[in-house]
Amino acid sequence: MNKNNSKMLTADEASKIVASSVIRRRKKDARLKTYGRIAIGLAVSFLIFLFVSIFSKGIPGFFQYYVTLDVYLDRDRLDPKGDLSPESLYNGDARSIVLESLYKVINPKGRKEKKAAKKIISSNADVRISKMVLDNSKILGKTISITFAVDDDIDSFLRGYIKRETPSSERRINDTVIKFVDKLSAENRISYKFSDYILTGSASRSPEIAGIKGAFIGSMLTLAVCFIIAFPLGVATAVYLEEFAPKNRITEIIEVNINNLAAVPSVVFGILGLAIFIGVFGMPRSIPLLGGMVLALMTLPTIIISSRAAIRAVPPSIKDAAYGIGASKLQTIFHHVLPLAMPGMLTGTIIGMAQALGETAPLLMIGMVAFIVDIPGGVTDPGTVLPVQIFMWADFAERMFIQKTSSAIIVLLVFLIFMNAAAVILRKKLERRW
Amino acid sequence: MVSNSNINNVKTKTIGEIFSKDPKIICRNVDVFYGEKQAIKDVSIDIASREIISFIGPSGCGKSTFLRCLNRMNDTIDTCKVKGSISLDKEDIYDEKIDVVTLRAKIGMVFQKPNPFPKSIYENVAYGPKIHGLSSSKEELDFIVENSLKDSGLWEEVKDRLQSPGTGLSGGQQQRLCIARAIAVSPEIILMDEPCSALDPIATAKIEELINQLGKNYSIVIVTHSMQQAARISQRTAYFHLGELIEVGETKKIFTMPKDKQTEAYISGRIG
Ligand SMILES: Nc1ncnc2c1ncn2[C@@H]1O[C@H](COP(=O)(O)OP(=O)(O)O)[C@@H](O)[C@H]1O
Ligand SMILES: [Mg+2]
Repeated sequence: MNKNNSKMLTADEASKIVASSVIRRRKKDARLKTYGRIAIGLAVSFLIFLFVSIFSKGIPGFFQYYVTLDVYLDRDRLDPKGDLSPESLYNGDARSIVLESLYKVINPKGRKEKKAAKKIISSNADVRISKMVLDNSKILGKTISITFAVDDDIDSFLRGYIKRETPSSERRINDTVIKFVDKLSAENRISYKFSDYILTGSASRSPEIAGIKGAFIGSMLTLAVCFIIAFPLGVATAVYLEEFAPKNRITEIIEVNINNLAAVPSVVFGILGLAIFIGVFGMPRSIPLLGGMVLALMTLPTIIISSRAAIRAVPPSIKDAAYGIGASKLQTIFHHVLPLAMPGMLTGTIIGMAQALGETAPLLMIGMVAFIVDIPGGVTDPGTVLPVQIFMWADFAERMFIQKTSSAIIVLLVFLIFMNAAAVILRKKLERRW
Repeated sequence: MVSNSNINNVKTKTIGEIFSKDPKIICRNVDVFYGEKQAIKDVSIDIASREIISFIGPSGCGKSTFLRCLNRMNDTIDTCKVKGSISLDKEDIYDEKIDVVTLRAKIGMVFQKPNPFPKSIYENVAYGPKIHGLSSSKEELDFIVENSLKDSGLWEEVKDRLQSPGTGLSGGQQQRLCIARAIAVSPEIILMDEPCSALDPIATAKIEELINQLGKNYSIVIVTHSMQQAARISQRTAYFHLGELIEVGETKKIFTMPKDKQTEAYISGRIG
């Protein structure tokens, strides 16, 4: 082998070569470390950028501008039938009453100015009055000061997004409106405070009164359905596969497919839901029950995989102990294996649910993207969910929706962080068990 | 059922006295397979009432495997197949009519690594009586727990903290807790698989003393890798080698004048 002039190195030569290679290796190490740091730095700065941009846009979305007016609550005009029923109040003349109290402050002259004045207050003002009267009919016949949300264009103007300097023809609000707003400001009637609508309102075409409550409730209902279906099913599957299933080709194929299922794009589950639940079983669209079922399909593989891992992590010695004392298989599983595996299974489930909470595509497929003003009262009422609401708002042109989109994202993020924190805490607990 | 006519009329290569006058467990021609691999080859032996018998032999020779046949713990291993006959009080324990749950209530087991449940000390001991319905009231259960802990010599050490986790005890205490758990269901036989191998000498001494005590009321089969331990605690010793039962006999005789060459080689330290 060592025919051509190769010979063993002396110790001296060898150590020299080693020394020089050590320097090269050190340099390589250092370079790799630097690359790693750069990568982490980039990732962190993206994250910071994301958070700063979402929070800087989203926090103002939790606040909005209001105008305070002294309103004379004329009994006959507000409640024409006189029975204080919602229908009677709906037929009442709340809108004109609000406008009249506004006119008293800003004195619009002529039709044109009145038309401009109408643009100042949110179209929701009459609903606000009706609600107040329904809550407390004693205020009828009195003059009280009420704060109303201003229209979204006025809000944008007050925030400085619509600029005074822009030529009137290119602005969404004309000079007359600006004059009136200035007058209201001068009288200290404009205020900036925490929004009444963002957390408690539901979907609306008027951005100033749009809120996430409907979507939030929709999300909760959907997640509840998802959990109720996916958790027991997932755990049962995991227990069967780990403890009962014979180890043969069929179970092997099932296992491989469950793992594959976890990698299927979520939109496919939406199509599946559309085809099976709506197409075959004729379920109504847009309802949280359906959304939950589709998301359950999606989270099931995650739950099964993590539950199996959790069951496998239960020390065999504990099972031996139970069997050794005469516990049946079922007792061993229910008394020992499941309690010990529970934190792990819940961790996986929470992570699966967090995924489901942020999921949009499959819900679009089953029509949870519909514009639904009513807050869903149950799993069979049409509704939407937070990420879909975000998706819809992001598509609207109004400036104010941009802020509200970010606000909704903040709410969603807070929830996700909360869920993930719960998962981490559970995992810590799991580690402490033995 | 194993008829009386043929049990003492068995072909065996084992040297020494495999029979006993008052047999509790009778094993005849037992073969155990893990899949294709045979781990126990044609083992026949009796285990008498209230005797302490130790199984010794080099590791991997099948001591644990054979021990686990006696309470059918091998059922939990899918690939494991047991052939031959094993009977408890003349009743075949591998018969279809036999319920493993009742069998394991009669034959308790203590494992190599102390394995208390991650529950309270009380719960650990009370678990067996609870699932077998041995007590009808809280007082009865308390009584069983207290007695079992006393019998395992742990009572004085834990009586003030019965509700603290069993996993918080020291290794030796945990093993005695496991023994208490086993005797709480009033078994007739206790199987122990190297119960001291994870313990320090002092804890080991305590367990050995305990085993000596328990030997008055129970049949005890103990697997051990320590020949001194076997010599100290057991009346009979069985030497296994490569799945075969080579020699059985009175412990004193086995250690002083083994008849088989392999046994002699092992006890004199030439086979490890
Ligand atoms: N669960 C199992 N599956 C397959 N082979 C096993 C299993 N348990 C033990 N064996 C094999 O059976 C033989 C006997 O093992 P064991 O009874 O544990 O020996 P010992 O307790 O005497 O050290 C060994 O060769 C071992 O590899
Ligand atoms: Mg062993």
